[in-house]
Amino acid sequence: MYWIFNFIVTHRRVFSLLLTSLVSLLLITAPPVKQAAALRFLSMTIFFPLQIVLSQTMKVRNIFAENRRLKQEVIRLSCAVAQLKDESIENRRLRNMLHFTPKFSYDRLPVRVIAYDPSPTQKSIVVSAGKKEHVTMWMPVVDEGGVVGKVVQVMHHISLVQLLKDPSNRTGVLFRRTRAIGILETENGRDFFVRCRNHEPIEIGDTIVTSGLGGIYPRGLTVGTARRIDTIRDPLFKKVMVALTVDFDHLEELFILRMSPQWSAFRAELDSIEFNND
Amino acid sequence: MIKQFFRWTGLVILLFILQTTAVPLIAIFGITPDLLILVLFFIGFKTDVIPAVFAGFFLGLAQDFYSPQILGQTALAKTIAGYFAGLCNEKVMRIDPIFQLVLLLLMFIIHDAVFFAVQMAKTSTPIQAVGLEIISSTLPRALYTLFFALIPAFREYLFPSSGRR
Repeated sequence: MYWIFNFIVTHRRVFSLLLTSLVSLLLITAPPVKQAAALRFLSMTIFFPLQIVLSQTMKVRNIFAENRRLKQEVIRLSCAVAQLKDESIENRRLRNMLHFTPKFSYDRLPVRVIAYDPSPTQKSIVVSAGKKEHVTMWMPVVDEGGVVGKVVQVMHHISLVQLLKDPSNRTGVLFRRTRAIGILETENGRDFFVRCRNHEPIEIGDTIVTSGLGGIYPRGLTVGTARRIDTIRDPLFKKVMVALTVDFDHLEELFILRMSPQWSAFRAELDSIEFNND
Repeated sequence: MIKQFFRWTGLVILLFILQTTAVPLIAIFGITPDLLILVLFFIGFKTDVIPAVFAGFFLGLAQDFYSPQILGQTALAKTIAGYFAGLCNEKVMRIDPIFQLVLLLLMFIIHDAVFFAVQMAKTSTPIQAVGLEIISSTLPRALYTLFFALIPAFREYLFPSSGRR
C-alpha cells in the first residue's frame, strides 16, 4: 500500500493530469441527466461565489444599458410633453374662439357602503352620506374601477344609490376607440350589453366609458370593456356584450361625485317644455 | 504559498469576469482574445505543473458551466494546455520573451486541437471543418491574445524581478 502512495507522490504531476483528464472525460461521456446533475452540483458548490460575482457584474452592466434606455425614454417623453403642452394651449385658444365652456371639475366625497338591497339582484345600496354632506339626487357614484351608479334618494345622513346592474337603469356610453355611442342595458343584472350600429368597427377589448350625453355622468368615466359581439338578426344593430370593470359583489369604499346634473342649468326650459306639452 | 494562491485565484476570477463581460466588446471581426489561456500560461510558467493543471481544469469547467457546449470539453482542453504550460515553467528552463510567445502560440494550438478532437468525437464534425476552424479562428485568436501577452512579457524583460532569479 505504501509503495502505491509513494509512487503517486513521486509522479504527482502525471497523476494530477490523469485525475483531472479522467474527470473531464467522465463529464464528456456522461448522459445528459448526469451532466445536468453535475451542473447543479457545481452551481451550488464551487461556482456559487463566482456566480454571485458574475451576476453582480452583469447587473452593473445592465444598469448602464438601462440608464441609456431610460435617457432615451426621458428625451422621447420630454418631446411628447412639450407637444402636448402646445396642443393644450392651442386647444384652450380654440375653445375660447368657439366659446366652449371649460370642462367641469367636481369633488369626490368618500363614502362607505352601509347596506345592500336584500333582493337577489341587488339593485341598490345605501351609502353613508346624505343631505348634511351636500349630497343631492342624481349624483354619480364611482369607485376605483369606474361607474357604480347614481344617487336616487337622499336622506339626512344616508343616500340610496341605484346600481348600474339595476335592469331599469340605462346609461349613455361611448366606445373610447371608435367614439361610437350607445346605451348600456341589462335584462337580468348579470349580462350587460350595448346596441351599436352594425357598421361601427367595434373590437373585443374596446374600452367603454360614459358618454356624458345622459346628463348625469360626466363624459369619460370607465364602465367596462367589450367582451363579445353578438351578431343578431337585426340588419341595423349589433349587440356588444360588456364586462363591467366594477366588482359589484365587493363594494366597500366609494366616491360620490358632487356635481349637479348637466341638464339642471336648462331645468327651467325643460320644465317649460313639459308645461307647454301639458 | 497561500498568498500566491490567493493572488492567482483573484487574478483568474478577475480575468474570467473580464472574459465574459468586457472582452466581447473589443472583438475584431468576431475574434476575441482569450485571456484565460493567457493567465493559464502564466500560472504554468511562474508556478508548476500541478497548479497549472488544476487551474486549467477549474477554469475550463467554469467556461463549460457558463457556455452551452459539451460539459468537460473545455476542462479537458485547458487541463492539457495547463500541463504543457507547467512543463515550460521558468524554474525548469529560462526562456526569453519571444520564445514565451511562441510557446503561448503552441499552447493555443494544443488547446484547440484537444477541444476540436472532443467536438469531432461527440458531434461527428468532419476533420476538414476542424482544420478550417483552426486556421480561421484559432490562429487569429492566438495572435490577438499574443498582443495582450506582450504587456507582462516585456515588463519582465525590461524590469526583471531580481529576487527570483
